[in-house]
Amino acid sequence: MNKTMSSFRLHFANPATTIFMPLGILGIIFAANWGIWWIVGRSIGEDAEARGDFAEGTQWSGAVTFVFVWMLVVAVQAMNRTFPLALGYGATRRHYYTGTVLAFLALSAGWAVILSVLAVLEEVTAGWGLGGRMFSAIYFSSDGPWLRTWYFFVLLLSFFGVGALTGSLYVRWKQYGIVGFFTALAFLAIGGGALIAVTNSWQRVGEFFVSLGFAGVFALLLVPTLVAVAGGYLALRKAPARN
Amino acid sequence: MNPIVEASHLTKRYRTVTAVDDVTFTIDANKVYGLLGRNGAGKTTLMSLLTAQDFASDGEIRVFGQSPVENAKVLQNVSFIRESQRYPEDFKAKHVLKSAPWFFPNWDADFAERLVDEFRLPTNRTIKKLSRGQLSAVGVIVGLASRAPLTFFDEPYLGLDAVARQLFYDRLLADIAEHPRTVILSTHLIDEVSDLLEHVLLIDGGRLIVDSDAESLRGSATTVVGMRSTVDEFVADREILHRDGLGGLASVTVGRLSPEDRAAATAAGLEIAPVSLQDLVVRLTNASSKEFQAS
Repeated sequence: MNKTMSSFRLHFANPATTIFMPLGILGIIFAANWGIWWIVGRSIGEDAEARGDFAEGTQWSGAVTFVFVWMLVVAVQAMNRTFPLALGYGATRRHYYTGTVLAFLALSAGWAVILSVLAVLEEVTAGWGLGGRMFSAIYFSSDGPWLRTWYFFVLLLSFFGVGALTGSLYVRWKQYGIVGFFTALAFLAIGGGALIAVTNSWQRVGEFFVSLGFAGVFALLLVPTLVAVAGGYLALRKAPARN
Repeated sequence: MNPIVEASHLTKRYRTVTAVDDVTFTIDANKVYGLLGRNGAGKTTLMSLLTAQDFASDGEIRVFGQSPVENAKVLQNVSFIRESQRYPEDFKAKHVLKSAPWFFPNWDADFAERLVDEFRLPTNRTIKKLSRGQLSAVGVIVGLASRAPLTFFDEPYLGLDAVARQLFYDRLLADIAEHPRTVILSTHLIDEVSDLLEHVLLIDGGRLIVDSDAESLRGSATTVVGMRSTVDEFVADREILHRDGLGGLASVTVGRLSPEDRAAATAAGLEIAPVSLQDLVVRLTNASSKEFQAS
């Protein structure tokens, strides 16, 4: 079998950590949210104004954010766990990394479908019968289920991309790699903010993103994702398999 | 015969130590090599370099005629499960046996299954809950069943009981007779493997101090035992590898003896004893560490 596909499969050799555990945790978060919606629903009763406020509030739900952050963790862990073994099995770093990125693509696609289906169900059932919102939160817009699937996919991909980069940095330089990366990122962000402030262009930046719209912003997100994936390879290319 | 591994002036420096220091050797196909040396001598580092798991600081490596670094064509014929191999924490032994065949084109699943039974490996147990011996068995099973043309065993005997050690010995010999391949076996438990080895590479402090046919190495030193004065007279102008004494008796290890030497020693009433590979390695590595202290 092709070593790229072998490396791809290595991430799913034990599906417990990459697939079942995040699903289980998502289930728990959903159950907790459902419980909260129920309690709120009971206490506000039939008051129309309060109902409206409730609907207004839950559309800003960040509960599903967990899935995205978790994917970053999954990506770093997956690389840290499988890299030395893949090399022991005689895979090259190039094949390993390609297989890994393909695995992350597949996971992004799978999760995007799951989240989209849940979002549609949420809309169809009027918020799981309680008016709650979690998967159809406002950040994923109201551009319809197809575009929303795409947005989920791109967003997941960006977290996996950063995961692939930080995973590679960890494999290459251990914690120093990750600390260095986030330090550099923080200073870049501060520097960028300073530049915008000095040139007095906050308004123009805001207008730029507004003009892009949801579709444009998510498309733009692909650029840093690709940069992260490419950077990950540069780091991993020279990484030794340590004990 | 073309050598399948050629290393020349191979060096690996870490920040504070030189783990492999200007090492040059070749490995011929279809032989069993012993990579011997004390703990920390540089055995694992050397194997990491040969399998491109780590990068050399200096020198050149050819495996199957090409550089192994990021070379899929070379590496698909190489298997190196290190003694302290890191497995995914959530992996059970069965996940290793499930995933290894994806990477090794010659994997023999029946053979692997038989070995699991024979080594009594609990496949449904997570790797980190395995005993040291069971962990060694995982590496041994992958190394054997992968049938890679160049197979490394890193300290395969660590923690194995006597039955399992014999089993490894028997299965390895039987399998390489049927499927000839090159085996490089690193160990510091030399007596356990000495019968297996056809060629010995002895490394100490990162330097290669012996590169020799195992057979000729076995005869390369002799211990002479007898009355102190007689022994001293006999070894007077020979290189002495080791000296022991008790009262009026002396036991001195010297280099190779010719048949005439042996006859002379016997005539003088001295006893001649062969030196085991392990003893020889102990003598040689002690000697060289003394040399390092002197310099």
